[in-house]
Amino acid sequence: MENFKAKFKEEAFEHIADIEQALLNLEDNPENHELIEKVFRAMHSLKGGGAMFGFELLSDFTHDLETIYDLIRNSKLALSKSIFSLTLKSVDHIKTLVEASDNKLDDTTQEIHDSLINEIDEVVNQKSESAIDDAIRKSFEQSVEAVKHITYLITFSPHPDIFENGTNPLYLVDDIYNLGETLVLSDLSNVPAFDQLEPTKCFTSWKILLSTEHQQDDIKDIFMFVEELADIRIEKLSEGNLVKRKSFRKRVKDLVKEKGRAEIEDLLKITEQSGSSLADKVKKAINKTENKSNNAISSIRVSSDKLDELMNLVSELVTTQARLSLYAESKTSNELVSISENVQKLSRQLRDIAFSIVLVPIETLITRFHRLVRDLSHELGKEVAFRSEGTETELDKTIIENLTDPLLHMIRNSIDHGIESGDEREKKGKHRRGEILLKAFYSGANVVIQIIDDGAGIDIDYIRQKAIEKGLTTKDANLSKKDILDFLFAPGFSTAKRVTDVSGRGVGMDVVRQQISKIRGEIELDSELEKGTTVTLKLPLTLSIIDGLLVKVEETYFVIPLSAVEKIHAVEQEHLFKQFNDLVTLDNEQIPYLHLRKEFDLAKSENSTEQVIVITYEEKRVGLVVDSIIGEYQAVLKPLGKYYKNQDIISGATILGDGTVALVLDTNKTINQFAIQNV
Amino acid sequence: MAKTILIVDDSESIREVVNFTLVNEGYSVLVGEDGEDALKHLNGQTIDLVITDLHMPKKDGIELIREIRKMSDYQRIPILFLTTESQQAKKMEAKEAGATGWIIKPFVPAKLTAAISKVLR
Repeated sequence: MENFKAKFKEEAFEHIADIEQALLNLEDNPENHELIEKVFRAMHSLKGGGAMFGFELLSDFTHDLETIYDLIRNSKLALSKSIFSLTLKSVDHIKTLVEASDNKLDDTTQEIHDSLINEIDEVVNQKSESAIDDAIRKSFEQSVEAVKHITYLITFSPHPDIFENGTNPLYLVDDIYNLGETLVLSDLSNVPAFDQLEPTKCFTSWKILLSTEHQQDDIKDIFMFVEELADIRIEKLSEGNLVKRKSFRKRVKDLVKEKGRAEIEDLLKITEQSGSSLADKVKKAINKTENKSNNAISSIRVSSDKLDELMNLVSELVTTQARLSLYAESKTSNELVSISENVQKLSRQLRDIAFSIVLVPIETLITRFHRLVRDLSHELGKEVAFRSEGTETELDKTIIENLTDPLLHMIRNSIDHGIESGDEREKKGKHRRGEILLKAFYSGANVVIQIIDDGAGIDIDYIRQKAIEKGLTTKDANLSKKDILDFLFAPGFSTAKRVTDVSGRGVGMDVVRQQISKIRGEIELDSELEKGTTVTLKLPLTLSIIDGLLVKVEETYFVIPLSAVEKIHAVEQEHLFKQFNDLVTLDNEQIPYLHLRKEFDLAKSENSTEQVIVITYEEKRVGLVVDSIIGEYQAVLKPLGKYYKNQDIISGATILGDGTVALVLDTNKTINQFAIQNV
Repeated sequence: MAKTILIVDDSESIREVVNFTLVNEGYSVLVGEDGEDALKHLNGQTIDLVITDLHMPKKDGIELIREIRKMSDYQRIPILFLTTESQQAKKMEAKEAGATGWIIKPFVPAKLTAAISKVLR
């Protein structure tokens, strides 16, 4: 396909050259029929080829342009000077489109694209409106399916109390949307300032332009239930499908931008208007891109030190912005609040972009693993194939850097202990060649990486025996498979019956787990004897800033990662305390909960209601009870320092706008630790 | 999660036909035989829509609608009532009481689901 595309591009440039040449000749003798025919044919080939080879933008655009020349060659339109220059501009634009094989345009080219289409549209429409021959006009209108359509202006202003009888006005707007082509303009001018806003009242009204084949009664029917609860006006604007016309849509949008609202009189004016030119604007834009395309560079290399610095600065900015919001809230200046909100929005966007810059695909690691598998399997005389899936998954570069060693270690383990020798595998009825699969995928706010081998698997009974020998458990302990496999992560626990150069020196999985938890990840093992072993790594997308929920227990602030939060309920305190088994019923489901005050050995709070934050924990729901919720917070993570290294439940700290320190709660570990204590 | 609809009607056949249609559409359905009976379902659990008949023994539909509008949990849920073409006055009374809309009896399943989709999705 790529080959064909390249061919088509060559062809396209030939066609473009043809058009240009023909046009220049046409300028001298505009009546030359042959030349017009030539232009039309070249455009037609561009359109057809473009559609075939996936240049949709090109194909659509030339289709529009071709319409003009179709009219000209059938003598329904005269080749004027303005059409002439429009065509030349369009041809220049077509060159850009031929290069845009992915159908994406940057903002400036998109602007040119749209305004050119508008101009072309206007030429074609002008033609249809000033037509001498009514029959031609009719046939043209049929071609754009405009004949049966009527365009209405629907004004829908619900009364403030419309919510009271259970009506959702958005559903009605939605229903209109289903009737035909619409342009929905919402009027928010009656919405009061935020602090005076009553959420139980409706302040929005809508103006909807609808081009439809349906009868006016069908539109009325939609509002059947709310006739007394809203002011509804349905006015016929014009025959034909106005909404479909790009130029009309654009004018309406401009009008709204200018005046803030659209009144019927203005719309009618727009409907009558035709053909004001955007030529100057286009010329300017074209000049701009010409300068740009001469020295455009699509990507640059930046040293990673600079990126680290950028991330640091963004983190500082986010912290400072929090201070600003806090300060703005304490002042009663509306302007300050709106500036601070803007800064918040910008810094959030900046943060997201800075993050995406430091994301690296897992692909970058894979070559090393390939090499390792090849060398190691040779050394050990085993046949192993290495496959990878989802390597386009991206992770923070710091995480990738810290991931190499643990992954290498695990792959080494798989080859050394997991995959059997060729002969052994044949005896077991497996393929001589073993397989190791590295699989990566997104899961919520996490990236999951799995190393899956089809080797001998782990002998659970052997691990248990070994654990008893080492004094990690007792003979009669009732342990699940997961508990037993967890022993493999215990320090100094090596099960290798023989120690090889490659692995099995007793420093292994515990170090791996440590490295993984350093980057806030989790590791888990699953294995079936004779079938194989799967190691699953769950990693956060990023390390330095998280979206969190800021809460308060007694006088201490805590941040709970927003990715873990499912829902927040306010619950009466007595309701929580009369439950002796720490279960609370929320949304018809019994949810176990941890009372953080209790776990932190604090006295009962004096509030009558407490907040239960429902957290997803290993596919289950667990509630965390806190005193109060402060709100959403972008937390810049700072390490805790060595004195606090030995506790698990706090994964870091962050500085709030007023300088207070908030602790970042690792929900999984918190639940793990306290829930086990409770059992 | 499936939306929950409470149907209230004293006629068993109506209840059954509505129940059948709604379950087929993927809703989860609760049933009340009259206004009094319906109250047992209005106990704090999530209900997304109530469809009620107007004429019923014990507690009639209009009284039920009024009571639902007083319950803090259900103050703003949509309520549809079943009515016949001729009962214009009744229709107004039910709307006054706080109903969202109506479904004209007799109805075919398509009409029922169309009316529901006006207030629920």
